[in-house]
Amino acid sequence: MNAQPHILVIDDEPQILRALRTILTEKHFRVTTASRGEEGLALAAANPPDVIILDLGLPDMDGTEVCAHLREWTLIPIIVLSARDNERDKVAALDKGADDYLTKPFGIEELLARLRVALRHRAQAQSKSQTTLVKSGDLTIDLASHVVTRTGVEVKLTATEFKLLAYLAANAGRVLTHQSILTHVWDAAEVDQVEYLRVYMRQLRKKLEDDPRQPRYLLTEPGVGYRFVIEE
Amino acid sequence: MKGLPKRVNKMMASCLKAGETPARVILGRLYPKGVKSQSTGEDDPRSHTKKHLNLFDAPFITAYDVKPTRAMRRLRLSSPFFYALAVLAIASATLVLYLLRGSLNTPIIALLFLLPVVASALGGLGPGLTAAICAFLAFNYFFIPPLYTFVVHQTQDILVLFVFLAVAVVISQLVARTQSSRAMAEAREREATHLYALSTALAGLRQDEDIARTLGQHLQEAFQSAPFEIVIQPTEGKPTTIYKFPLANPEAPVTKPGHLSPLTTPRGQVGQICLHPSQPLSLANERLLNAFANQGALAVERAALAQTETRASVLEESDRLKSALLSSVSHELRTPLATIKAAATSLHSGDIPWESQSRIDLLAAIDEEVDLTNRLIGNLLDMSRIEAGALNPRREWNILAEIVGGVLTRMRLAAQHHRLEVDIPEDLPLVPVDYVQMEQVFTNLISNSLKYAPSGTTIRVHAHAHSDALHIQVSNEGPPVPSEHLERIFDKFYRVTAAERVTGTGLGLSICKGIVEAHNGRIWAENLPGRFAFNFTLPLALDGMPPPWLPVETDSA
Repeated sequence: MNAQPHILVIDDEPQILRALRTILTEKHFRVTTASRGEEGLALAAANPPDVIILDLGLPDMDGTEVCAHLREWTLIPIIVLSARDNERDKVAALDKGADDYLTKPFGIEELLARLRVALRHRAQAQSKSQTTLVKSGDLTIDLASHVVTRTGVEVKLTATEFKLLAYLAANAGRVLTHQSILTHVWDAAEVDQVEYLRVYMRQLRKKLEDDPRQPRYLLTEPGVGYRFVIEE
Repeated sequence: MKGLPKRVNKMMASCLKAGETPARVILGRLYPKGVKSQSTGEDDPRSHTKKHLNLFDAPFITAYDVKPTRAMRRLRLSSPFFYALAVLAIASATLVLYLLRGSLNTPIIALLFLLPVVASALGGLGPGLTAAICAFLAFNYFFIPPLYTFVVHQTQDILVLFVFLAVAVVISQLVARTQSSRAMAEAREREATHLYALSTALAGLRQDEDIARTLGQHLQEAFQSAPFEIVIQPTEGKPTTIYKFPLANPEAPVTKPGHLSPLTTPRGQVGQICLHPSQPLSLANERLLNAFANQGALAVERAALAQTETRASVLEESDRLKSALLSSVSHELRTPLATIKAAATSLHSGDIPWESQSRIDLLAAIDEEVDLTNRLIGNLLDMSRIEAGALNPRREWNILAEIVGGVLTRMRLAAQHHRLEVDIPEDLPLVPVDYVQMEQVFTNLISNSLKYAPSGTTIRVHAHAHSDALHIQVSNEGPPVPSEHLERIFDKFYRVTAAERVTGTGLGLSICKGIVEAHNGRIWAENLPGRFAFNFTLPLALDGMPPPWLPVETDSA
């Protein structure tokens, strides 16, 4: 990996490309841009970037399709950009292999946060060293020994609660769709029962959050899924 | 038949021979002068006939309410039965009067002979005349001296005889005419009754299927269940409605040709009725069939017009909405854009020192105004979706507290000058809602409350389950709303205060209403002592199922 992380931006709006190129270059990223899906796929194959920012509304092909094509050969993190009103598109892209999403219009701090998470996951995946200890604010989650502590005190979790928390913590910072959580944590028979997820999430928040109704760690992504946030 | 053109006479003769439908026989007499000759270049004289038949007034045509093969007999000769009756009546009268001749004088006998003549005339003009002549002869033979001869000696008797004949003929004519006009009147009444029933039944029908069915039911009644087929096709390319009787095999094509009567409107033909009567139709019946077709055509036309009108009013309404939206949007969009433009240009000009408070303020203004613009566009999208009926909530079992919590987290900054209080019981059942849409409802209700409630006051969210429904209240300490506005504040662009004083699209509350109603709920506003409250209810059932009870593990990992 270069000292400067390489970002490929695929978006058909020249203004967005110009703004992102300016801002990201300023933040010491190396930026390549493509305005069409085919072009983006070719650029990604010719010179694999560290992160891909992909707009879902491309003129020549569906953004979800681009995700699927990329996932045939690479695990490069993909952050999709989409308009506010199509949760279904976001979910489809995430289920097709995208790592995260941002809703237009977005603040640049948000984008940089997502980029940092994506780069960290990439680094972890490349070093193949699975982190077993996840820390966020007062919380410490030991994925290997199944121990969760809050301000140093061990929190008792049920088996399902731990499985759920472990899956979220292992993917800290990334949004996980309901579908993906349900398939990982529950049996296949209960995959379409989002209410299980809701109820267990409420349990987890009661045990881990200071104010379960306005959580800091376990965030709801409306209409999409959940995200475990690392507080530094 | 004299006086008709030779061609028509000839044609009539051939028709009668062939036993065909007689309608056209009467033609010549129905046509106004000049049309009579039928030489208008039409290939099928029959279609020509129909076209013209429709033009004539009812009474004129009804005068020929006869089946011409029998018509001749009924008009001129009537049925043999009535002739026999006439002869019999005269014979009986002669016998009775002959037996009583001792006590009756000749004028009385003449008068009494008129009775069977009148009676016979009830059977038609022919029998009436026959009776008159028979009576004349019998009177002469048996009662005028010299008896048992047809010879008359006295001038007085000759006078009596001929007066009798004249009276008998006149009476039988009068009676026969009265009879035939009664029959006509009855036929016309029957026709009028059928037509009235049909037009009443057709009034208000908007669907071609309903029109075809109603027309069919009345045809069945009026034509003694003769088989028929109704085809309706209001416009080219539109689906065709077919109604057949008997319904046994609606798919079977009708092979036997029948009476075709087109449903004609000013736009052209919109269908047809094809009737297959067991015996040829009388002219009156054919005309009734045409009248049915006309009624049917009118109904189809009415339905088409009504549909057009409905479409037009929908378009008009949506047009009105669009112009209202446009004017609101252009105003509302320009306001933040003006701020953004001013801030951006002044930053761009380099006049603002890099590390100054003004620079920070300008940037914050741009950021806020962009968010406002974004919300505005979101509202417009939501509204257009609600208007188009395309909201389609994705209802799932959700936890209300989670939804409200998310909204409060997101609105923390906007609500920094107010206190937010949430009162949602721990044991509230799961609620079947679309998560994102329900967030939108709370966001709009709370941001409306923030706009009108003085800073420092409390905005309260309260929820409780009540049997099979959830009741939610979002209340604030804002000023009460006059009761006449309470209903209307959920209308699009409706504002209680002047538009200049409050920012927003005027769509927030109507979006709430749209979403709540798409969830089969109800929303209303009310003034409480010292508070103003929005209330809404949501049914606690999804596809008829009550909220699930989920077993939660209690063991530790």
